[in-house]
Order: sequence, then C-alpha cells, then structure tokens
Amino acid sequence: MDRTLKALSLILSYPTRDLQKAMPEIAGVLGADSRLTAAARGNLRPLTDSLWLDDIYDLEERYVMLFDRSRTLSLNLFEHVHGESRDRGGAMVSLLETYRDGGFEPATSELPDHLPVLLEFLSTRPFVEAQETLADAVHILEVLNARLARRESPYGAVFAALLQLSGAKADRDAVAELLDQPEVDPNDLEALDEVWEESEVRFGPNPTAGCPVTRDMLARMGPPNASTPPAPRHAAE
Amino acid sequence: MSHLLDRLNFFQPKELERFSNGHGQVTRESRDWEDTYRNRWRHDKVVRSTHGVNCTGSCSWKIYVKSGIVTWETQQTDYPRTRPDLPNHEPRGCARGASYSWYLYSANRVKNPLVRGRLMKVWRRLRETKSPIEAWTEIQNDPVLRNGYVETRGKGGFVRASWDEATEITAAANAYTAKTWGPDRVVGFSPIPAMSMVSYAAGSRYLSLLGGVCMSFYDWYCDLPPASPMTWGEQTDVPESADWYNAGYLLLWGSNVPQTRTPDAHFYTEARYRGTKSAVICPDYSEAAKFGDVWLNVKQGTDAALAMAFGHVILREFHLDRQSDYFVDYCRKYSDFPMLVRLDEQDGQLVPGRFLRTYDLDGKLGEDNNPEWKTVAWDRKSKGLVAPNGSVGYRWGEDGEWNLEAKADGNETELAVSFILDTDHDDVVGVDFPYFGSGATEFFSTGDDRPDVLTKNVPVKKVKTADGEILVATVFDLFCANYGLDRGLNGDWVATDYAEDVPGTPAWAEKITGVSADKIIHVAREFADTAEKTQGKSMIIIGAAMNHWYHMDMNYRGVINMLVMCGCVGQSGGGWAHYVGQEKLRPQTGWLPLAFALDWGRPPRHMNSTSMWYAHTDQWRYETLTADEILSPTAPEGDWNISLIDYNIRAERMGWLPSAPQLKTNPLEVAKQAKEAGKEIPAYIAQQLKSGDLQMSCEDPDAPENWPRNLFVWRSNLLGSSGKGHEYFLKHLLGTDHGVLGKDLGEEGGQKPKEAVWHDDAPRGKLDLLVTIDFRMSTTAVYSDIVLPTASWYEKNDLNTSDMHPFIHPLQAAVDPAYESKSDWEIFKAIAKKFQEVAPEILGKETDIVALPLLHDLPAEIAQNEVKDWKKGECDLIPGKTAPNYIPVERDYPALYDRFVALGPLMDKVGNGGKGIAWDTKEEVQHLRELNGEWQDGPAKGCPKIVTDIDATEVVLMLAPETNGEVAVKAWGKLSTATGLDHTHLAVPKEDEKIRFHDIAAQPRKIISSPTWSGLESEKVCYNAGYTNVHELIPWRTLTGRQQLYQDHLWMRAFGEGFMSYRPPVDLKTITEDVRDDGDTLVLNFITPHQKWGIHSTYSDNLLMLTLNRGGPVIWISENDAKSAGITDNDWVELYNTNGALTARAVVSQRMKDGTTFMYHAQEKIVNTPGSEKTGKRGGIHNSVTRAVLKPTHMIGGYAQQSYGFNYYGTVGCNRDEMVIVKKMKKVDWLDREATRKEAAE
Repeated sequence: MDRTLKALSLILSYPTRDLQKAMPEIAGVLGADSRLTAAARGNLRPLTDSLWLDDIYDLEERYVMLFDRSRTLSLNLFEHVHGESRDRGGAMVSLLETYRDGGFEPATSELPDHLPVLLEFLSTRPFVEAQETLADAVHILEVLNARLARRESPYGAVFAALLQLSGAKADRDAVAELLDQPEVDPNDLEALDEVWEESEVRFGPNPTAGCPVTRDMLARMGPPNASTPPAPRHAAE
Repeated sequence: MSHLLDRLNFFQPKELERFSNGHGQVTRESRDWEDTYRNRWRHDKVVRSTHGVNCTGSCSWKIYVKSGIVTWETQQTDYPRTRPDLPNHEPRGCARGASYSWYLYSANRVKNPLVRGRLMKVWRRLRETKSPIEAWTEIQNDPVLRNGYVETRGKGGFVRASWDEATEITAAANAYTAKTWGPDRVVGFSPIPAMSMVSYAAGSRYLSLLGGVCMSFYDWYCDLPPASPMTWGEQTDVPESADWYNAGYLLLWGSNVPQTRTPDAHFYTEARYRGTKSAVICPDYSEAAKFGDVWLNVKQGTDAALAMAFGHVILREFHLDRQSDYFVDYCRKYSDFPMLVRLDEQDGQLVPGRFLRTYDLDGKLGEDNNPEWKTVAWDRKSKGLVAPNGSVGYRWGEDGEWNLEAKADGNETELAVSFILDTDHDDVVGVDFPYFGSGATEFFSTGDDRPDVLTKNVPVKKVKTADGEILVATVFDLFCANYGLDRGLNGDWVATDYAEDVPGTPAWAEKITGVSADKIIHVAREFADTAEKTQGKSMIIIGAAMNHWYHMDMNYRGVINMLVMCGCVGQSGGGWAHYVGQEKLRPQTGWLPLAFALDWGRPPRHMNSTSMWYAHTDQWRYETLTADEILSPTAPEGDWNISLIDYNIRAERMGWLPSAPQLKTNPLEVAKQAKEAGKEIPAYIAQQLKSGDLQMSCEDPDAPENWPRNLFVWRSNLLGSSGKGHEYFLKHLLGTDHGVLGKDLGEEGGQKPKEAVWHDDAPRGKLDLLVTIDFRMSTTAVYSDIVLPTASWYEKNDLNTSDMHPFIHPLQAAVDPAYESKSDWEIFKAIAKKFQEVAPEILGKETDIVALPLLHDLPAEIAQNEVKDWKKGECDLIPGKTAPNYIPVERDYPALYDRFVALGPLMDKVGNGGKGIAWDTKEEVQHLRELNGEWQDGPAKGCPKIVTDIDATEVVLMLAPETNGEVAVKAWGKLSTATGLDHTHLAVPKEDEKIRFHDIAAQPRKIISSPTWSGLESEKVCYNAGYTNVHELIPWRTLTGRQQLYQDHLWMRAFGEGFMSYRPPVDLKTITEDVRDDGDTLVLNFITPHQKWGIHSTYSDNLLMLTLNRGGPVIWISENDAKSAGITDNDWVELYNTNGALTARAVVSQRMKDGTTFMYHAQEKIVNTPGSEKTGKRGGIHNSVTRAVLKPTHMIGGYAQQSYGFNYYGTVGCNRDEMVIVKKMKKVDWLDREATRKEAAE
C-alpha cells in the first residue's frame, strides 16, 4: 500500500478523535516521503499539527464549512467536471467499475468520486497507475489548491502534495475556466438556495443573442469533457 | 459511386454483398465503436417515480439506474386512456423534471446529520455523566448554554453527528418540552401532503402520537381562497385540466397557464382547435395574454370591480331584461337566490341582516330539529313560506331531507327568486349597502367621492315572526340592488344604462380598472351567451395572484358569482378552476388516520399557521392596520375597534380557530389537576377558565410559558421562501440577527391591543430547538440547530396525486438514499424509537387535553347561531359549544414507537370517515393485517404492521374510497342515508377494484369516485367540481345547502362583506417618514406573481434567467416610473419599507403598468445580491418587505361552512397590498470583505 496516498486520504476525511490520535503517525509518513519536496512536506505541517492538536469541534466545523458546504471546494471530483450535467451518473458508473476491476467493492456511503475514496483506492495500485489517474485530475487539484490558498486554509497543502505526486502540469486554460466560476460563500443564504433553484433547462443558446452561429456551435463540439458544461444556474450569466 | 476512378472495373470483392440496387453494401470492418452508444444508454433497471415539488404537475417519470446510480430520466407515456374525442394526457412533464437526476448527486446535498457545533460540544460533555433528558434540561436551564447556540443560528458552525446522537438530542428535547411546557409546544411545519403523502405523514404521525402540533400550509401560503369554503363549504375543488378541453368559453383571470402549467397547457391550446374562445385578464402582457382572443389589462388589485361590472351585464341581459330559462332554473335550485334575508333596522335605516330561519317563525314551520339552522324561502306552489330541503339544519340530527330536491317537508316546491312583481311584494324600501370605492388609497384612487353608504330600493315582503312583523327580501333582489341594477323601482345608485357611472356598471368599472366598458360588456355577453347555449360550459381559470390581496374574497366571490349566475358550476367544461397549492390529496380519508395517528387517539392537534406565526413571530407587535379601517359603515353596533390580534384571540376563545399552544398551563398538568379535583376534564377547564386560574395561551403570546419550543420543518423552506415577515421570524422566533426596520407599537406609541398582553421587551429566540429535515442546505437548514439529511424523490417510496389529473402514482426508491440520508419515514421512525428510549425517565402514560375548535363537517359546525363571548359574560362557557371543546387523549409515551409502526385499534373500534360521513373499517383493517403482517406481542399486539414506507402506502390505499372500491360503495351508502337518495351506483361498478402500491408502480391508476370529492371520474365525464351537487342533488356543505352568495354571519356583515363588492387594497402604512429618505419619491405597489412553476417552499426555477438573462434578482417597472426616479434599465435599485429591504436590478418594460413593480415569487435566493444600503446587511428576499396581516372574517367559526378545518378555513397570509419605495442605489456594495472572509475561515 502506498502509505502516503493513504495518509492523504485520511487527512482529507472528516476529522475524528481516532484521526487525531493517529496524526503523529500520519505526519511521520508524510514527512518521510521523498517523492515530495521538502517544501511540500513542510507545508503539510500546519495541517497535520492542527489536526493533531486543535479542538475537535473546531476542526469539524472547519471541515463541514469547507468541504460539505462550499460547493466549489467539494471533494467529489465530478462536481467540478460534470456539475449537475447528465454525464455525472455515467461517469460515476465508470469509476465504480474501475474500483471493481481493481478487486474492491466500495463500502462507504460516500459516492465513488469522493477524493478520499479515490486516494485510498489509488494507494492500493501501482504508483505509475496512481500517477496517471492523478494526472487526469490535475486541473481540479490545481483549482482546489488555488481556492484553498485564497482562503488561507492549511488544507491547500494536501492538494499541492497531490500535484507533486501526479508529476503533471495542469492545462492553464482549464484551470482558469474553473477558477472563473464564482465562489459561493456558504454563509450567503441567497446564494445557497439559489444553487438549488430549479433553473430552466435551456436547449437553445442565449435567447437574446440572436441566432446561433455554426462556428460557435462547432467550437463547443470539441473533445468531450474537455470543458465544463455550464451548470444550469450559471447558464444565464 | 458512379465515378470511374472510384470504381473497380475488373474485380468484385468476394466478401461484399450488395443490395438495394447497389446502393447498400455489407461491410466486414469492426463495429466496436457502436458499443459506445450501446453503453451510453445501457441500464440495469427502470423505476417509476416523480418529483415531489410543490407543483401540481404530478407527472410520472422513468428513472434509469445503472450500477446502483441514477443516470437519467425520461417521461412516462403510459397514462390510462381518456375517452374518444378527448386528447390524451401524455406526455406530462417539463424540462425541469427532466433535469432532476442532475441534482441527485449535487455537492450541495446534506450528506450527514448536522448539529450546531456549540450545541454538540456541550451535549457530548454533559452526556458523559448525564442522561439525555438531564443533559437537555441542564442546557435549557442555563442561559449561557442556551444562548451559546441560539445566537449563532444562521452563522455556520455545523459539525457532523451520528444518527444516534442527532435523534437523541431531538427526542430528549421533545420529551423535556412535553414534560416541562406541554406537548403542544412541539410544533411541525410541512406543506403539501399530496406531493409525497407518506413523507408528510411520517412527521405528522410522530407529532400526533406525541401530542405535538401540525401546522397548516394552504392558508399560510395564501393559496387557500376563503371564498371557496364561504360559497361551497369546500376547501377547493376544481376541474381536472382535461376538462378545459370541454369548455365552450375559457376565461383566464390572473392565471398564466402556458407559463405555469406546462404539462396541462396542451388542453388549453387543443380546446382552441375545438373552437373554444378565450379571454385573458391580467395586468401585464403575460404568456397567457398571447393566447387570448381578447386581453383585458386590468389594473392589479381592482379585479373585483371588473367582476362586478361583468355581473352587472350578465344580470341585466340574462336575468332581468330577458330571462334565460337555464340560468334562472339553475339559480333557483343550486344557489341561495330564493332564500329570504331579514332586513334589520339600524339607526332608522334598513340593512340586510341574517337569513330568515324557521325558528324566527311562529310554529317554526314544524321544524323541531335545528330550527335555527333551516333557512326559509317563498313557495309559489303553496303560496307560503317553506324551509327547503338541504340546508345545514337537515344535515345533523336527522336523515333523508339533506338534499337538493325541489321539496320542502315532503312537498314539491317552486321557490320564488324575486318579489319584483307588484303582486309579489308588499312594499319597496330603501336598503343600505356599504360602498368602499371612495376610500381608496392614493395609488388606487379615482377621485371617487361617493358616500360610503348607498341606499337602494328593494322589493320586500312582510313576514310575521315571534317578535312581530319584519321585512324580508330574497337574496336575488338584494343581489341585483348591490350590483347597481335599475329594475324600475326608482331611487338612487342604480342604472339602466351601462354608460352611467354608477357603482356596478361597466362605465364605473372602466374608471377603476382601466379596462374599457365596451370590452367588459363584450366579454360578459360572450361568457354568458356561451354558458346559456351550452348549459354551463364557460370556465374561469383563476390565478393565485388574485387571492393574495387583503380583500381577496371580493375578487374571488365576484368571479364565483358570475359562474353561478350562468349555471357553470358543476357542469362539465364549466366552473371555477383554481390550481394553486397542490391541495388535492385524493385518497384523503385513507391518509388521515396514518398522518394524524387517528388510529391511536383522536383528535389530533392542528393549528392554522397564519395566526400562529403572526402571534409567535410577534408581527402583531408591529401591526399598522386597524379594524376601523376595514369595518363597514353599516356595521351593527359592537365593540369592533380592537386590534387584529384581539380578533384572533376572541376567535380562539369562542372555539372558532384552533390554538397552539393552547393553555398557559401544561395540559398534562391540567389533566392531573382535574383528576385530583375529581372533575370531568371539560367541566374542570370551563370552571378554571372562567375563574381566570387557567388562561388561554393566545392571550399572552410573549409569556415564556406560551412559546412554541421545538419546531420541526420538513419538506419545506419555511424561512427561505414562505415566511411572510421573514425578518420577524429571525428576530423573535429564532433570536438571531435580523433586518426589521420598523418600530413596534410600544416604541411608536401606537394603539396597543386590548386583549393581548403587552410586554415592553419582546422576546428574542422563543425556540429551544429547530430541526430541519431536507436533502439540501436551505435557508431554514442554515438557521437550524439540527439538520437531518433526507432521501430525495428517487430514493423513497411514496404516493402522489394532483388536482390537474385523476391519477394516483408513486414515488419509488430507484436507488438507496445517497450518503447518510434516510427517507422521511425512516427518520421519524428513528426519532420515535429514540423518544421511546429516553422519555420514560420523565413521561409515562399520560392524559393530555386537546383543545378542539368547532369543526366543519361535524355537528359542532352549527354550534353558534349567534356571536357570544363567554369572557364578556354574554353566555356561559360550554366546551364544544361556546368555546373550544377540551378532549382528553391518552398518550403512551413509553410505547410511542410501538404505536408509530402499528395501525392502532381505533380503526376497528371507531371506523373511519370524512366530510361528515363515517363508515366501518374492520374489514380493511383485517386486509391490512393479512397484507402487512400483524404484531404478535407488545403494546400493539394484534395490530397491522406499518414498518416500511410501502406498508404505509398500503394503509392509505386500503382505507381510502378513492383506491378501494369496496370502501367507496360503503361511503356512498352512508351519504345516501343522509341525503335520502341512492348514490351507490357511482361506485358499484368498481366495487372489486383495490389499488395497491404495486399496481401504481406498474402504471398510474384512475381514482374511484368517492363522496369525499364533488366530482366524478367516469366513462362519461371529466372530473369537475360540484358535479355531484348538481347531478346527484347532494347539498353543498353550507348554511343554505346551496352555493351561497350571501354571507350572513355577524362579522361578515360588520366588515361589509355580506355581498361581494369592490374593496380597494388596504393601506399598510409601511412607507413612514422615518423610513423614507429625502428625495425618495417613487412609491410602487409591490407584486410577487408566481413565476414558471411558482413554487413556495421548495425550489423555484429562474425563469428570468431564461427570458431576461440578468443573472440575479430583478424587479420590473414601467418606463414612466423608471424615468421619474432616474432609473434606467439594468440599474441596481433598492426596494424598502418598514418591513425590510431588498436589492435587485431594474427591468424597465412596457409590459408593466405605471405604479407597479413585480418581483417574482420565491425568487429569493440568488447570487449577486449586494448589500442593502438601508439595513447594511445583504439584501433580503421578497418576503423581507412583507408582513402577514390577518382579516377578522377569516376567523369566523362554528357557523356551518364558516367553521374551522385544517387547511380549509382560517386566516391567510396575504401580501399583495404592500407598497415599497424604489430608488436607484448610489453604490453597489457586495459585502465581500472582512465578515465573509472571517466566517468562511472559521
């Protein structure tokens, strides 16, 4: 088992007292992995220390606020790839089949695309394969890293470490596009309910923009999944 | 293929075979690429379900599942057939439904039970050494601990909890509250049971077993049109959408069918191919207006004036100058037109008084049973007074004459509708009618300076009564006078010519409504002419907008009057179509026992939400409307000048409206005291209330003993979208940050209530615990102490019906609930189980006392012939007669869970019923034992099991006449006894039909006709309301037994609403000098129409994003108004008044009338909402500038159709009369600095 990936899976999971007790060991594993630069390992320290020493309720509240309630920080990877598009169900089915091919059956209430789930799975795979998978998700890791850094959250270090492990560079356009999406403060009630509003499904282009131009339509028909389909809520912006 | 170069000249490939003359060929290359497509649409199973939003669509969907994951959905197309010549229902469903699976896995789902961190921390610490009850007690008794989490409501700080912990806190809080304050301090709000009946029932069953309070929704949402119970004794009953196709004339009034009724709109368009004409009435150029053959752009809030003018024309041309045989005959049989009204002398003038009753007459016309409830008419056959069959007096205490046969006392009758002929009347006298048109506020004023009382001549008869000679007139003659029709009787305020400007004429209405008189005349004529030729096939589809005005009853009654005058109600293709609020739970009588635990104890605790929230969010402390502003100048003498909350208190005291909490003392304690005193409970309470030792909670809503303490909200976003007076909820009920701008009556020095106790310091944070159950993080969830994740619509089994079509169909669990969520049924089961574990520490078997108001459809509905207040010494306090009844109910708290999962013994012992009839259910209970299994031991030994949600659906389906033919036959049989006419033929052909859950899983099923509803579902007709009243002669459940157009209750007369008339919107005075800044001149009427799929409490689509593309909240204003305030299109504007403020972009449009601004309903939660300059907080929601205002006439009770029923009658949350200041914002502040950052980093 790749104990570093497993350790990262653990510290991205909901903090518990068990996790707190295990933190010295987890920190030890992370501190000793030479695949990470010294700086990356150092950057993980504030998080591992915090998870070890801080009040568990503060840790839990922080986690809920960041990962359960901030949509843009969701640990469900397909949230960032497929949003609420129809492709999401299909993508999860493929991922599930990947786990099954690897000889595992998910035993959690989390969805297959939950990052800690994926990391745990990858920890059981050869590192080259893990790297490939992480490389596929590199733009999401980059974006989460950037968003967490914006919030000065120590969790950013996890994503920085994953980026290093992937050994890949994110496509700057893809990252920029994701980062362009508005961040929603989970305390902003208006925004909160808004994302749940059932916006109209728009089968045509912007109704005020006049007739569609073939060039634009062809441009949108590029490689599948290369760009994020606009979530319905933002369709009109 | 014919090119030389491309063609082989000398070879033909061996493996290629050609066909179709060489145009086709067989190839051998790999076709693996096709697998992509095969896999894309591959699935493991298809499951039938639907979407439980508050939408009347109720469409059936196919849900596709692959590897346990929902991948997509498509519309089902297998609805049962209709009849020849009638279009099919399918496809039903809209683009929104097609997108639902996209939300299923959204990152914003609530994944785990969440508890406020501060509460969790304290709880776990205390639980190390204490029991759950002790822990909760300590938290409540320590102000620091309690405030620790109360004040952080709405400010983040959740941690995950296990189901065990979350349900334990909840159960402990409920038990503590029941013990300390009373079980009626535990309340629950959930709307629209029809959309997912078992989910609703889960919570209401738990609450009912506990003795908690279920809150109404239909009245609170203001979707309940009180005019319907007033006129028909029916909550709401309407034609199915397919019946639009049968209409000859369709009047769309304030309803936007193409926009709001997507799956049904095709019947509207198809009807036009049949030649149906359509007129559309709405202020703005709406989607529907485009469909109309004629569009009448009435000024909003003045619809009643338009309806009155329509009525004026119809009366003139079809009832007076020429009499339509069909209309006159219909009105004689089915309306109160022939009933006689006493004319009362008041200050030397005559005013319409009460209906003449048999008990007024010497000898009572031989009626000894309920003589004060039998109305009287003049019979031309016997040339004397008769008490026609069917009035409410015949309904109770006797059988056989409660019907609409033209009979009285066994003899055929021919009732006189009018005394206009010289040979008929003894005199012609002046009668006073109130006139409100001259009292309009500035915005609605037309410069009308007529007096507020108009005296008009009416033909009368003299009648000898026990107290001497009195004058009586028929309802019809008074009705015509009220509509301003000159009938050759001389006198003022009546007209022969439509062009005369007399109240009621088209010319008069033109001034008020802005609709030209010739259009009014044209539409009225066409409407009535079609109805005459087709025997009633003129239909009015009415929109909720008209029901949201303070004087909504005037709008609705104006419309209803037109339909009754033209004989349209109860006729296929005709009648009144009000599709709002998804009120139709078709298998209602089967569902009630499950939902309110009637199988274990009766009655349940019900509360009308509007009055409850008005009192407990302390909106009454800010009331600006006084009773004398809405009182009629013709009001009989009385103590009328009291506050609106005072009216509500009187109504509760007299048993008209329910109370929650009920008594200042814990009812469990009161029961003990009564036992100690050795007295019967009702007698004990009566004595204690009279002596003042016991007080009703309503008299002092701010005393801590009277606060609601625990609140459950499920299937609803109460605080986010339906909370009229949103900021007041935050301030007083929740005790957290709020944006109330106005001052209360104490600070203002206003007139304080007489009856309600005033505390100078208003309480903040009445609730000890707010639990929200939802699958998403809603505003309500954010403000909650505990959030429990529930299953969404593809993750649970449930039932779904609608008023738009006659089918019942299921929600089914296509997949297990995602993350840690559970179905509502399982959640409340878990809470019940936990409660059973923790409660025995302080609660055992207890006697609870439920205060029951005088309910409609029970004998108590004829309790109060006259208005008498026991507290003022006007009568004795007799529980169930002059006051609420006080009924002991046994609670078995240590067996609460055992009861929850079993169908209790009362179904065997007492049976079941609804709407005034009752039947035996032993056989159905036995069937359920066989179907669901039976408990072998424990407190529910021998009872059928209700363990799973499917078990629960079977209970509903087995007990309801709509889904069990045998029960339907029984129910019709019981009704036959009451009416003396045989109705069983309506169900006998379906006697063997029993619809089970797995039947509807296979295909939606048509419901079986039942006496619960007034329409039939048969091979001959579409479902249409009132059909059985007209065709089976079953009386309407009103005082007169007929469609009642005159309302004679004292309070109706006092507030000037005996007859329908035009009442301008009220002045809510929310634009005060305090709140108004210098230079703010633009004051507009604030309207919140329903947008596409106008949705109250769950989700709202964002139509504007589609059509307008502004990407944020918008308000609409007219070009002229915009110009006057220097606003250009797309400017940020701020709207505010004393209730609060909101910010939005302005859409400047020719569509709008001057003086009005639109903000779409429930369009509240939107990105890009900047801070309000006024409150300094983030701009509010549409309810931020509104406040609930009560109307005394909606509080009437114990008076036939005007008696309380849950979601049937009561105060409503109107909000249309509001005015706001609109101004351009100086600078747009996104409030995205410090505060946001700090909170986010927490």
